[in-house]
Amino acid sequence: MGAAAVERFLEGTGLQRKPAALSLLSGLGAKLTRASDLPSSSLPRDPLPTTVAALDRLLLGGLPRGGFVEVSGRRSCGRFSIGIATLAAATSSGETAALVDLGSHLDPQSAEDAGVDLTRVLWVRPAKLKDAVASAEMTLSAGFPLVVLDLGLPPLRGRFIPDAAWVRLERAARQRHAMLLLLAPYRISGVAADAVVAADAMRPVWRGAAMHGAPKLLAGVASRLTLQKDARARSGIAEQMGLRVDATLSIPSLPATGERGTFSRRRGEGHLIAAAR
Amino acid sequence: MIACLFVPLFPLAARLRSEPELKDEDLAIFEGNGNAARVVAASRKARKAGVETGMTLPQARARIPKLIARGRDRECERAAQQSLLEVAESFSPRIEDAGEGVAYADLEGHAKLMGGGKPRPYDADVGAALEAARDLARDIVRAAEKAGLPARVGVAASKLAARIAAGLPDTPAVVPEGDEARFLAPLPLERLAPQMEIAATLERWGLTSIGDLAKLPEGEVASRLGEIGRALHAAARGVDPRPLEPYLPPPSFTEGMDLEWPLATLEPFLFLANAALERLLARLEFRALSCTRLEVTLKLDPDGCDARAISLPAPTRDAKTLLTLVRLELEARPPGAPVCGFVFTAHPDSPRRAQLSLFGPAALSPDRLATTIARLAALLGADRVGSPRAVDGHRPERFTATGFSPPPPPRERLAPRAGRGLLSVRVLRPPVPLEVILDTKARGARPSTLKSPPEATPPITGTVRVAAGPWSLEEGWWSDAPADRDYWDVELSGGGLYRIYRERTANAWFADGVYD
Repeated sequence: MGAAAVERFLEGTGLQRKPAALSLLSGLGAKLTRASDLPSSSLPRDPLPTTVAALDRLLLGGLPRGGFVEVSGRRSCGRFSIGIATLAAATSSGETAALVDLGSHLDPQSAEDAGVDLTRVLWVRPAKLKDAVASAEMTLSAGFPLVVLDLGLPPLRGRFIPDAAWVRLERAARQRHAMLLLLAPYRISGVAADAVVAADAMRPVWRGAAMHGAPKLLAGVASRLTLQKDARARSGIAEQMGLRVDATLSIPSLPATGERGTFSRRRGEGHLIAAAR
Repeated sequence: MIACLFVPLFPLAARLRSEPELKDEDLAIFEGNGNAARVVAASRKARKAGVETGMTLPQARARIPKLIARGRDRECERAAQQSLLEVAESFSPRIEDAGEGVAYADLEGHAKLMGGGKPRPYDADVGAALEAARDLARDIVRAAEKAGLPARVGVAASKLAARIAAGLPDTPAVVPEGDEARFLAPLPLERLAPQMEIAATLERWGLTSIGDLAKLPEGEVASRLGEIGRALHAAARGVDPRPLEPYLPPPSFTEGMDLEWPLATLEPFLFLANAALERLLARLEFRALSCTRLEVTLKLDPDGCDARAISLPAPTRDAKTLLTLVRLELEARPPGAPVCGFVFTAHPDSPRRAQLSLFGPAALSPDRLATTIARLAALLGADRVGSPRAVDGHRPERFTATGFSPPPPPRERLAPRAGRGLLSVRVLRPPVPLEVILDTKARGARPSTLKSPPEATPPITGTVRVAAGPWSLEEGWWSDAPADRDYWDVELSGGGLYRIYRERTANAWFADGVYD
């Protein structure tokens, strides 16, 4: 580039004649702030969307194949729902999945209602944390494309698990090109996980309050997901997540006294029908 | 030459082989249940009294009130058939299992060895050869009688002629080679067992013997009766191109060794077991088979035996997996004494293969999956590994699990279905008992404070911020374990959203789920 051209460039006159160069600087170029944001060939591709929009946004599309994602959070933060939604996404796309369920918390009825194809799910119910980790490793070695390891509710049953075990799980997932989703009450996997998401600040949403003295109805929960660690150094980003209860509130013909009404709440195939008192 | 061993009224013969004391009784074998039961075979005494095949039990009892009726016993028949094959195998290494009391043995070249003790040139003199074959057939009949089976024997150059010769009451019957057509000609057509419609047609044509059919032009018979008629005409001329299909007894896959000194610890035993398993699996691999069940027999010191079996969900040829299963089995139930010898017996089966897909999700390897499930079952217990299934009903804690057998993956990868964004419930199994303080000031009594016992897992304690309910649930009131509950959704002030219920009959509170 000659001196005149540089001068024109600095004055901006050259850019007016080169819209492509301008768009480069204002578009992609403006976004290239860190090298770590560049897509790397070593990073796992072809993510599986978890169908939880907030988590998919944080993980740039979903669970990475060959990756290890940990979701931690207190009770009722929605992490179990994330696991169920991921199982539903995987099985609805025709893939098999394994759920290692420490504490045996799965409700097959509600899982089916959430869209999980139960025939494609291997349900492993260990009683101890050590067995849960061993089961996850075995299922990864068997070639399951998705393994959801749910550690249940605190206090965790079993002895302390060394960090090396988590690293081994991460390697098993990477070698098998499998997705490993760890759901834990607190951050447990040390440095092994590729991405760590913390779920916190659960806020229940109630409906039907003070309506003719009728009981409230749980409509869902709102929670916030924060990316605590990411292989692409994008930590600190937060997203709001909303989960709803499949419930209907109907008061077809309230008597004039307003004393009684009928509520129905659907859970899978079953209906809970109650008279409000 | 081919010898046919035929046991007439095979279901009866098999039964009498197991219960010889019924030999001189009025006995009938029935097949089917209730009114559909029909006589399939009857003893000579019962037949003389008028009991015939196809009769119902009341019809048979009308003729012989004290008739002994027995159901058809497949296990008896399987054992009798095996015994018949063993008889045939004692005369020839090439035998065929034709089922239902029929077996064939290839006698080619054996008459010289077994013709009455002195060698006779088989093909030197036709008469002498026939006599040698007849001697051999008599030996076979005697051997079958020794095994408890009243077999008839026919010897001929083809399977068809041998089978028909064996069906004749005068046993043994020997048909000279090339003389099949002449042998068959005077016999009634029923001996060829033609189809019912064909038999009716042949009867209309006025044919009664096999020779009558053989005299007709083959082309004319084929043009009128089709391919079946052509085959029947060939059979009538004694032409039977079917070769003998040799029966191969299932091989035995066994490996083991006697130890010079008894082993009291697991590791040295597993070291030896690994080598034995590798040898065993190499033999299986040589025959393109896999192990579907492994029997472990331990010889204990100073005397005694410990036998156990390890069943695999799918056949495998992985020595490491089998060794792990042996280890887990022995760790779970150690033998009561030092081991001074062991034998592994593998039950073979064909390995399962998965069809790989170019575009769809990859299917799990059945071999590896079965191995993993077996290892998980050994580690956790068989009831803790499976595929979950929903159960009809209203109780939230209900569930069942079946064996994991996923359907084949789709041919093309499908896009995941849009999520429903539902809040799931962690079911607490078993439910956590609660002490609940009710707020009676509110409209209706509502939970205000929850407290679980100190040993409860997970601990649930706190003040209720919001309580929604009650939702009534009543199920199984007619059963011994009815459910009569009032459900509440409660949010505790310290965080946590629970599903609790009051068991109305016992007035006891429990938490059975956590919204999570």
